[in-house]
Amino acid sequence: MKLQTEVLVIGGGATGAGILRDLSLRGIPSLLIEKGDFLSGASGRNHGLFHSGGRYVVSDPEAARECIVENRILRKIAPHCIEETDGLFVSLPEDGLDFRNRFIQACEEAALPALLLLREEALSLEPGLNPDLLSAVKVPDGAIDPFELVLANAKDAEVYGAGYLLHAEITSLVVDGDRVKTVLAKDLLHGEEYLIEASYLINATGAWADQLLKLAGLHIAMALSKGSMLITNQRLTHRVINRCRPPSDGDIVVPNHTVSILGTTSVRLEDAENFEVTPREVSLLIQETSKMIPAIEETRFIRAYAGIRPLFQSGEKGDDRAISRGFVLIDHEKRDGIKNLITITGGKLVTYRLMAEKTSDLLCRKMGVDVSCTTHLKPLPGAEKPSGLKDRLKTLGKVETLCDCELVRREEVEEALREGKLKNLQDILHRTRLAKGTCQGGFCVYRLLGMLNEWELAEGDSNKILKGFLEERWKGIRPVLWESTVKEEELMEGIYKGIFNL
Amino acid sequence: MHYDLIIIGMGLSGLMAAKTAVEAGKKALIIGKGMGCLTLFSNTIDVFGKITETTRLRDDLSRWIYDHPEHPYGKVGVEKIEEALCSFNTFFRPPYTFQSRNETNSLIPTGIGTFRPTYLIPSTMMRGIALKEKKTLVIGFKGYKDFYSQRLADSFECRGTTLSLPESPSTEITATALARWMEQPSFREFIGTEVKKQIRDEELIGFPAVLGVNDPMGVRKDLEKKTGVSVFEIPVLPPSIPGMRIFNRFKERLIQRGVTFLMGYSVSKATLKDKRCEGIEILHPPVTTSYSADHYVLATGRFMGGGLKADREKISDPVFNLPVSQPGSQEKWFEKSFFDEHPIHRTGILTDSSLHPIDEKGELILENVRVAGTILSGHHFLEEKSREGIEIATGYWAAKQALN
Repeated sequence: MKLQTEVLVIGGGATGAGILRDLSLRGIPSLLIEKGDFLSGASGRNHGLFHSGGRYVVSDPEAARECIVENRILRKIAPHCIEETDGLFVSLPEDGLDFRNRFIQACEEAALPALLLLREEALSLEPGLNPDLLSAVKVPDGAIDPFELVLANAKDAEVYGAGYLLHAEITSLVVDGDRVKTVLAKDLLHGEEYLIEASYLINATGAWADQLLKLAGLHIAMALSKGSMLITNQRLTHRVINRCRPPSDGDIVVPNHTVSILGTTSVRLEDAENFEVTPREVSLLIQETSKMIPAIEETRFIRAYAGIRPLFQSGEKGDDRAISRGFVLIDHEKRDGIKNLITITGGKLVTYRLMAEKTSDLLCRKMGVDVSCTTHLKPLPGAEKPSGLKDRLKTLGKVETLCDCELVRREEVEEALREGKLKNLQDILHRTRLAKGTCQGGFCVYRLLGMLNEWELAEGDSNKILKGFLEERWKGIRPVLWESTVKEEELMEGIYKGIFNL
Repeated sequence: MHYDLIIIGMGLSGLMAAKTAVEAGKKALIIGKGMGCLTLFSNTIDVFGKITETTRLRDDLSRWIYDHPEHPYGKVGVEKIEEALCSFNTFFRPPYTFQSRNETNSLIPTGIGTFRPTYLIPSTMMRGIALKEKKTLVIGFKGYKDFYSQRLADSFECRGTTLSLPESPSTEITATALARWMEQPSFREFIGTEVKKQIRDEELIGFPAVLGVNDPMGVRKDLEKKTGVSVFEIPVLPPSIPGMRIFNRFKERLIQRGVTFLMGYSVSKATLKDKRCEGIEILHPPVTTSYSADHYVLATGRFMGGGLKADREKISDPVFNLPVSQPGSQEKWFEKSFFDEHPIHRTGILTDSSLHPIDEKGELILENVRVAGTILSGHHFLEEKSREGIEIATGYWAAKQALN
């Protein structure tokens, strides 16, 4: 199939979706292409921290300043994606108070509101904290739902005329002189081939940025840093809990809906495709985070996962955390003489909008168009909607729930299917809270597949899809199998290998 | 209170041990936290589904046992396994019986559209074996979200339909609710009439396994009368109504014969001295009660049952703290693929040939304790498809040996 667009945005993470929305609000025709579903990369695999900037305020004040500005904007345009929890930076006896004092001063310099709490004050806000803590500093951290955020951006872009192609991978970039002339792509599910003609291309592929540039014979130095996280079965604290010391392994616990996410590690990777959470990382995360919240030692985990931070390499060796978390915008016209190609990489989820704005500004300059950004003013679709859990609880017993862990109603799934263009199981799981609870989809995916048969939407062999899902689920569960998760697993194996002989 | 035999664990192996004891004229106490995995997973009696030869299972199994003396079956032996199965069957006289077809494994349809090999099949499921040859209609119920007739129809290449039920008090229906309703004549009248309307030229009707807890054959007969077509049951997601039938039958018969049932209790302490168990305690706050017996059977199941406990370091038995074979460190417990055979499933309590607990060196640990059921080491019931067979055989044999 032959497609034409003014701008082709490559990558369906927060950055790509943000750019797609920004451009369409400016009236520039754009098309997004993504080889998986939206959020298949780092955007869907992070700890969901809604940064205040506190985490970088000492090491990278520039990134911190960006964070706090964007933090304020997102509270206005995407309140439905954010839980305003606040965050505490906790000092333990072994940390001393030097870093804390530098931290408070840096917050002041970056105009980041920070309030020093005494031990008793901190413990009364968060009784689960280590009672030996020295003090805590309160900052406006929060929790963000990247799925809601990215899908809302894509939805709004669509309203303003943009399009997107999911599960389609670029196979070749044809360079002719100083331009990328055509793009060849392939639908990974059905094999259809696309020939795309775009006046401009934006490479927003995150960890895959260099891989894409290789197709045009270009290269940038990227460091791929794996960060691993663990999800608990319950929410441990109301607020985000950070360790008040230079960023290190296992120093953050972020509440997320009904669970908490423990993070993170930092391990250099060579390959963006094959990575897993190692037993060493699991032990390290539990050991370190339980110093802040002792109950973590005994808590039940439901899943481990890892994401890749795409870091633009500065050249020095050492801890990847030292590489700036600020973003990098590359005009390949200046750098490589390719006039119609831009790469945007690095950055944080919370600065996705700013990254999109700067990218679109650069593009407009190149195009000679003079339209300004409005994404900081216009709320995202869904912003008027109240938060979900209370509504879910109200419907309990009155409607059919597909997922008993996360109270996902049958109608919600029907709605997601109606809205659209969902091509595989993962697409459905990304758009609902199915498979995100305690049983990790052990029951609800079986039910979902049964319903797809009823609705005559089942494509292919349902049992093969179920097997594929169970394997995918296994990757997340295997690293945390002890105590009650071993029981849960015995149940799942008893069902699928036992009763059902799958 | 003093007993001849105390059985800890109320799953199928514990129940079989209690049956064996009471039939030998002994005074028995059975203690259980719950009904065990019986009411979750058991529908039919698996003995060794892995063997799919068409010859008699007994012959294949004795050949297999010869090469696997460390397996629980190796300790019991084929003759005693058969004896145990016969003993189990004495609780299931017609009309609801468990039978094999030609003394070999048969393939029965499951609630996910696959077939599974099993040995003794309850009367309500037997006709499912013919699903491939006969035109079949599969019935589901709107609001019963654990069974999807259309999905089965797609897999089995037959027809499926979903019935809407009248005046359901909730939008969601459970297997247990359906099983209760099935026992009401008015409900069957409705189902019979609705199903009859749907039948075209089908010779078989498949229902999820919810045809009543107490009198499934009565329910089936009535449905067949109303529809004019043969009816069978299909195993579904837990809970298992057929498993409840087994549990209820044992409970009723054992209590009649004088077995003491302590349900909802777990052992809080065991007093051990000189390789003997001298007594156990049950804490039911604020009261602690002590019980003692000449012999004990430990039949507490695996992880779900609470018989084995896995912390991040090791796997242990919380009742007697018996030696458990360890599958290495935690990262080695499970393989990379969900569908692999995981080393953790082979762990369990080590025993000698008479099911006494022993340590790694073969040293006897407790001379008046026997171990039965899936908590034993050296088997892999999921791979072997041997869950109920191991439970029945070792429960029977543990009690036999203890009371010999």
